[in-house]
Amino acid sequence: MNNECVSETLDDYVLVRLRGEVDLSWSQQVRKTILGALGATGKVGVEMSEVSYIDSSGIAALVEGLQNARSKGQQFGLVAVSKAVMAVLQLARLDRVFPIFADVDTARAS
Amino acid sequence: MNAAPRGSQTAPDGGEDRRALDFLAELSQALALSLDLRKTLAMALGHIADFMQAEAASMFLVDPVTRLIECRLCVGPVDIAGLKVELGQGIVGRAVAENLTQIVRDAQTDARVNVRVDAETGFITRSIICVPLTTAEGPIGAIEVINRRGGGLFELSDAILLETVAAPASLAINNARLANNLVEQQRIRRELELARRTQKSLLPKRRRGGFPLIGINMPAHEISGDFYDYFDLPDGRIAFLIGDISGKGLDAAFLMVRVASLMRWVGKEAPSPAQWLTRVNNELVDTMREGRFLCGLVGLYDRRDGSVVFASAGFPPALLHDGDRFEEFEAHGPPLGILPDMHFTESRLVLGEASLYFFSDGVTDARHKDRTRLGSDGVRDLIGKHITLAPEPRLRALIGELKHLDLPDDTTVLLLQEPRGELSQVLLDYRFPARAEEMRGVRARLRSALDDQGVTPELRDGLVLAVDEACTNVIRHAYCGGCDESISLRMTRERDMLAFELRDNAPAVDPGSIKDRDLGECRPGGLGVAFIRMLMDDWQLQPGSEGKGNVLRMRKRLQAGTLGDTE
Repeated sequence: MNNECVSETLDDYVLVRLRGEVDLSWSQQVRKTILGALGATGKVGVEMSEVSYIDSSGIAALVEGLQNARSKGQQFGLVAVSKAVMAVLQLARLDRVFPIFADVDTARAS
Repeated sequence: MNAAPRGSQTAPDGGEDRRALDFLAELSQALALSLDLRKTLAMALGHIADFMQAEAASMFLVDPVTRLIECRLCVGPVDIAGLKVELGQGIVGRAVAENLTQIVRDAQTDARVNVRVDAETGFITRSIICVPLTTAEGPIGAIEVINRRGGGLFELSDAILLETVAAPASLAINNARLANNLVEQQRIRRELELARRTQKSLLPKRRRGGFPLIGINMPAHEISGDFYDYFDLPDGRIAFLIGDISGKGLDAAFLMVRVASLMRWVGKEAPSPAQWLTRVNNELVDTMREGRFLCGLVGLYDRRDGSVVFASAGFPPALLHDGDRFEEFEAHGPPLGILPDMHFTESRLVLGEASLYFFSDGVTDARHKDRTRLGSDGVRDLIGKHITLAPEPRLRALIGELKHLDLPDDTTVLLLQEPRGELSQVLLDYRFPARAEEMRGVRARLRSALDDQGVTPELRDGLVLAVDEACTNVIRHAYCGGCDESISLRMTRERDMLAFELRDNAPAVDPGSIKDRDLGECRPGGLGVAFIRMLMDDWQLQPGSEGKGNVLRMRKRLQAGTLGDTE
């Protein structure tokens, strides 16, 4: 699975689709994409169903996005989190910190 | 006055003087250039006899050991080579004892003259001059001339001439003796080295292929009074023995050779260890001398049921190490070679996975710099320190530690332990450039190696994450983002313990500076170390060897639930 990080605009919602193994080699790119999305709209989700690995630098990018959104009263959530990512979120006890949605529709409706 | 102190006489006349100088120059040169001193001296003695116009001449040397003065060379009608006289006895004995030239003008009436030789040979001694061969350390012998040819008597001037020509002979002999001493010392050193090697070759060869016994002997000097041995018995058991001859040095070492073979031959008859000791003891009582004795331990090991039976004669306690537990087995009787018909008891145990150590007292008597003994506790500490090593490297590590101490005695260790298979199995040994882009490949290798071990996917992913975090920490912090350096990753398994070792060449990192993250706090960063702490059982960061780089070690014990169905 190739690494991929693309933004998709759905009306007022921006979905950042992540694929592959999120690690130090490109987590800066993930961070910039997330922060860029938050700069463009008030409601951002990160789709992670095809993320097979995430390290602490990837988690840090997500945490930064959440903090950024909160400080500006924006909405930020994780969508369709893969098992591998969930394990790491649980390990970091962040699984209850992020709003996590089963799919994009639920996320957009929230 | 018959004895003339050296140099107390007036010089001879000019012609005589010249003749003496020419002769002296010739003699000195011959001696200085001599390749074969004995031959040159024999020739010189003939020339001296001619020069002194003597019927006979002889050279005596003092034997440094017996202190007897022996005739080593002679010219003339009677061969007295080999004649020995005591210091102070006769003319020669007096010349050496008093370091004074002796002149006998009329031998037939002089009480100092030993007339025995004349009586035995029919030679008639009329007149004698005898001068000592002197050195800085005192006289080493004498030159004697007898009877002036043509019937005249020797004069005082003849004595001075003889003293003059004796000087270079004395110098040459002394030089040769000093050179000989050096050669002798080198010869002794060479022979000791040869003895050391011969003795070492008497110890059993290390047996490969999981043989359960291994021994090490380290002599305090070139050669040892300690020994050990092991051999197979026809019934399939293995016999072993270790011994320590009282005292050290050459005589103990010679005895060791004899006693070691005696013990081996008695052991081949395969009596019980107690009978084995009794028989060796009775043999040694008859032959040990000068208060010598032998502390020894003999035993039999049966690999089929793991049973060990051994008996000790005054040998230091055997030490059993089983897991975290140590147990000592005291001697079963007195040392061997002292009293006949001694009886010994025996110890029996089942070895299982334990290690049984036999140490000569040189080990416990090793001394620290402050002169305190290593003792039994110190030995246990050393064993505990190297317990993860296989028997051979463990013994080598023990000896390495002992070498840092003062070892006053021969030091010998025999270890009985069944091999525990390959103790530490290397699952992954991979070196890669310290670049974030490399980590994907590293993770793939790790996953695959862990899958091969039958680790559950959940644990596998956690361990991969922890190792990945450790590597990225090195890339980000230790190398400060640099990319020309590398990281070595080694994963090993020892029974149910997985170990991960990460080495880098970065500047040493202060382990205290690595901060764990408080997970209650929601912020980016600091999470990696928290992951490592949660996912591994323990971890430690140390400076690399020679202070270069860092070594991070992490361990995880695999429990029943963390292994998949494949194992």
